[in-house]
Amino acid sequence: MSSTDLLDDLTRREYPHGFVTSIEDDQAPPGLNEDIVRLISKKKNEPEFLLEWRLKAFRHWLTMEEPVWWPKVSYPRIDYQSIIYYSAPKPKKQLKSLDEVDPELLRTFEKLGIPLQEQQRLSNVAVDAVFDSVSVATTFKDKLKEMGIIFGSFSEAVREHPELIQQYLGSVVPYTDNYFAALNSAVFSDGSFCYIPPGVRCPMELSTYFRINAANTGQFERTLLIAEPGSYVSYLEGCTAPMRDENQLHAAVVELVALGNAHIKYSTVQNWYPGDKDGKGGIYNFVTKRGRCAGKGSRISWTQVETGSAITWKYPSCILQGDDSVGEFYSVAVTANRQQADTGTKMIHIGKNTKSTIISKGISAGRGQNTYRGAVKVLKGADGARNYSQCDSLLMGDRCGAHTFPYLDVRNPTATIEHEASTSKIGEDQLFYCRQRGLSEEDAVSMIVNGFCKEVLRELPMEFAVEAQKLLGLSLEGSVG
Amino acid sequence: MSEALANGYLESLLQGQSNLPRSPRGWLNTLRADALERANALSVPTTRDEEWRYTDLSPLYQKSFHHAPPAALPARAELTAYAVPEAGCTLTFVDGHFVPELSTACADPALTVMPFSAALAEQDPTLQAHLARHAVLGDDPFVAVNTAWLQDGVLLRVHAGRSAATAVHVLYVSTRAEGASYPRLLVVAEANGECTVVEDFVALQPAAYLTNGVTEVALADGARVRHVRVQRESIAAFHFGTCAVRIGRNARYLSSAVALGARISRFNLNITQADEGAESVLDGLALIRDKQLADTHSMLDHVQPHGRSRQLFKSIVDDTAHAVFNGKIFVRQGAQRTDSAQQSRSLLLSPRARVDTKPQLEIFADDVKCAHGAAVGQLEAEQVFYLKSRGLDEASARNLLTFAFAGEIIRGIALPSLARQLEHIVLQQTQKQTSYRNIQ
Repeated sequence: MSSTDLLDDLTRREYPHGFVTSIEDDQAPPGLNEDIVRLISKKKNEPEFLLEWRLKAFRHWLTMEEPVWWPKVSYPRIDYQSIIYYSAPKPKKQLKSLDEVDPELLRTFEKLGIPLQEQQRLSNVAVDAVFDSVSVATTFKDKLKEMGIIFGSFSEAVREHPELIQQYLGSVVPYTDNYFAALNSAVFSDGSFCYIPPGVRCPMELSTYFRINAANTGQFERTLLIAEPGSYVSYLEGCTAPMRDENQLHAAVVELVALGNAHIKYSTVQNWYPGDKDGKGGIYNFVTKRGRCAGKGSRISWTQVETGSAITWKYPSCILQGDDSVGEFYSVAVTANRQQADTGTKMIHIGKNTKSTIISKGISAGRGQNTYRGAVKVLKGADGARNYSQCDSLLMGDRCGAHTFPYLDVRNPTATIEHEASTSKIGEDQLFYCRQRGLSEEDAVSMIVNGFCKEVLRELPMEFAVEAQKLLGLSLEGSVG
Repeated sequence: MSEALANGYLESLLQGQSNLPRSPRGWLNTLRADALERANALSVPTTRDEEWRYTDLSPLYQKSFHHAPPAALPARAELTAYAVPEAGCTLTFVDGHFVPELSTACADPALTVMPFSAALAEQDPTLQAHLARHAVLGDDPFVAVNTAWLQDGVLLRVHAGRSAATAVHVLYVSTRAEGASYPRLLVVAEANGECTVVEDFVALQPAAYLTNGVTEVALADGARVRHVRVQRESIAAFHFGTCAVRIGRNARYLSSAVALGARISRFNLNITQADEGAESVLDGLALIRDKQLADTHSMLDHVQPHGRSRQLFKSIVDDTAHAVFNGKIFVRQGAQRTDSAQQSRSLLLSPRARVDTKPQLEIFADDVKCAHGAAVGQLEAEQVFYLKSRGLDEASARNLLTFAFAGEIIRGIALPSLARQLEHIVLQQTQKQTSYRNIQ
């Protein structure tokens, strides 16, 4: 097959998760005002403090302007009054167990490859599934409870552990942080909550699956993860959405708090609907993710594989506050067709002897635009801070773009900061070598791409790594440069 | 700072501009009027502008500067310290005005050097074809203000196929406190012409003044220009410089820019590799201390295929000084087979020194080789240890290593006398505790 045929093949490829599930849902009218905020809070039976916080966030949001000037992405202005801010699968009655979950819903998750019941028995991954904006099922809850681990939907945590929410909500990403974080703080409907008690090593991977189903809705989930001193947790999230012609907004906030010597590993495989080959439809993925290494020796690692979304705009960051704390960021971002990604990280070194590593791999194909934007900031007190950054870009096709914007801001002379970046295409010689060893052109490209991303993929938990490799293969099928 | 105050500042710089004598050439008057209009439409930058996010100009806005002809010319003897014996001719600007009395005539048959006034009188087509065509009126208020004040500058023309045997030395001297100067230089290298230009910004007294210079360099096909730029303004001065370069087919531009002086300095190096096979090699060094801020912004635009570029920028920052480097590299859609590499290295010598570096790659072509690297840190402990094991004390070891760090850029300057002068300055700045006499 010639490379043009391959490219055609790629553009004809269907988004495999693009079905719509017909489920009755309970929706708020479109538009955003204080009443909607109150309505969301009321629907969820929230305590007073949370409603107050939402309202403060909403009022602050009104004073902010959408950042249109600095991200290297372009999109038509979003009409925030035409979005539905709350959409939930209609509750038939209070759910007691998985068996009572709408079978239609369960079939959806099965189609997505997350058979909740199966998974409970077969694998060792506890899943919290978020459908549109509401968390529908959490598996393995009891087993985790025995160890004192709290894992479940955010609304549940608000009901059962309001003290933890009150203490930590907004402590890493305050509602004043940015436009989309403020919006999320005002209207977030659900999300996941996780608490690991001191010294506990979470015995299984915790996982959340996000799905946008209803039309015209925005998904605004909020994840809060707290790891007490000496604990460890590995957390995964995955996302899909149906194919729709309109763009849908996804503005999530993720907050991680790692206390002394705690280690949080947060992995994302993001595969929201990217839009069709002409850039029609797709998800706007405007996400704020940040972790705080609050104690001595705490460690947060972000791993992300971003293959979906029409626009990805997120910077999972680490505030390295505790001495000897470690921040890591491993990312693969793929943009094909007309996808745009402006992603990277921010490492803020505050404590002494803090270390950070950034490995970013960008792959652009078709007319995709891929931007790495990262900041490494070393404050005055951060003696002995160490950073290593590596950003590599792979270009496939002559109409795509790869951009690198590292910001290095160093205010301590004992810091050592290194940044390296390279941009190249798949070498003819590399392809030739693989071809003469009997591999097809497609297999050769897939092999080279996987090799290019190896340093990131190996950071993913095994099950996810397999999925991520498949996704990469799918996204880039045929994009021979 | 309020927008109104910011706008007011540009107006204060433009005060008296309307009294400039009208030129007999209409196009020049139009150019000035356009620039004035542009300057009036712009406001001075603040740290809210992405291009100026690390460079806070508020110390500038607290001072006022006025453009005026030099009161008294400096004596020749005062300028001997800045002489470059290798140069065949010296062009001297005093407070932004070209002064023929302090300049030497150019005898090189490969070159034509003339002040704008002479070029205008002769209706030299080169001037109109190139002036303000490379440093265009964009969003940079300083280029607009310089162009609005455009009066006399120097045109340096390298004849087609000729190679200048000696360098041209352009000396910008500032003599007055509170003066504002707007020097302008245009270098046009015709096809396969070759020359070396040295620009040197110096001060005769440690006063606060403003220099806002614009240099344009146009390289026709196959031309070669070596460009050395030394900024050693007074420690209280404000320096804004823009150098806009257009490189033609298979032409080669080599630049060494050294920033030593000024309270706040900003150098914009904008290079367009406009045709196939263009090449540029850019070296930069900022050596600063006290409260100095040195900001270098480079923009390297690869427009056509088979371009090549190499860039190395170094900064050495002491006391509470602050170095900024922003290196943009563009590779346009058609610019296949571009080979570009950029390196930025910074050395922090004091706990309160600060460096902000932002290399930036924007690539729209797929068959390219591009890399950039940035490193910020202090001297390697192993290197210091090695020198100490050879009998040097700690301070000498550190000074020697710092000197060597700067040396990589200074050695690239092909004029031995200038390189020696610079080495001497670096030595003076690096020798803090111990004397260097034994190495000198």
